[in-house]
Amino acid sequence: MSNQHSTVEEHGRPRKHEGPKKHIVAFIFSILLTVIAFATVASGEINETFTYLVLVGMALLQVFIQMAFWMHMKDRGHMFAIVGILTGVFVAFTCVLMAEYWVWW
Amino acid sequence: MSAHSHVDGQLPHEPEKATLEGRNKVLAFWLFLGGETVLFGTLFSAFLALRHQVGDGNPTSQELFQLPLVAAATFILLTSSLTSVFAIQAMHNNKVKAMINWLIVTVILGAGFLGLEIYEFYHYVHEGHGFTTSAFSSSFYTLVGFHGAHVAFGVLWIGLLIAQVFKKGLNTVTAPKIYVAGMYWHFIDVVWVFIFTVVYLMGKVG
Repeated sequence: MSNQHSTVEEHGRPRKHEGPKKHIVAFIFSILLTVIAFATVASGEINETFTYLVLVGMALLQVFIQMAFWMHMKDRGHMFAIVGILTGVFVAFTCVLMAEYWVWW
Repeated sequence: MSAHSHVDGQLPHEPEKATLEGRNKVLAFWLFLGGETVLFGTLFSAFLALRHQVGDGNPTSQELFQLPLVAAATFILLTSSLTSVFAIQAMHNNKVKAMINWLIVTVILGAGFLGLEIYEFYHYVHEGHGFTTSAFSSSFYTLVGFHGAHVAFGVLWIGLLIAQVFKKGLNTVTAPKIYVAGMYWHFIDVVWVFIFTVVYLMGKVG
């Protein structure tokens, strides 16, 4: 593949460097998801509940793509990284649920 | 293991993970980002709880927000995230010059995003949407302003890192710093995805 470079390590074993291809694909997907989210709101013809669902879905999908590819979370050796972030997400999500369903009970 | 003492003076494959210190730095930064997630989670929950508390006669989110401006800011920040990925890839390929160039592009795009946000806030204040106007305005400025402050810090941080690489070159000490700054920048972009979704788009819907 033209976009994969290889260097010879000290043991003479070639190591493949990842090319920019999948990062550009992740970028295009991010743009696409953003456009869908904006278009759903801008059209103003889709009912509210469905719009909210689309927005949350697009945001979660985009965050997943960016964290997996751009922050290398899908690569091995990211066990503690995932545990750390998920702990943060758990607390944050609890706060958001509290704000949405409890504050104005 | 003296991974950085290569015979030909070349950097190892992933210089940010070549030393124990570098690996610890990356891991600790993930834990820091977990804490940042909590910070933004609390700011988001405050905004969600207060976003309809506009008060009489004050501008609502539907009146204030302009989607084209938000879309432009989103596109700028998203692109800057991609250029910071290119910087890390250039680092992995041991192309110091390309890495610095991509980092400079990232900083410029970050500054552009900040400029748009300052213009936006200035515009809102003129529309009668000050920090103390309503519970909605206070929680809005706190959340979006905190993100803006993170972008400003990132611009400064990456700017200083560029200067340091110019001075000291790319080695196993400077490489983890750049990798970690790249992670920070992606995180800022991820937070923005939630801001444009929850604050601007949902604010436009109602």
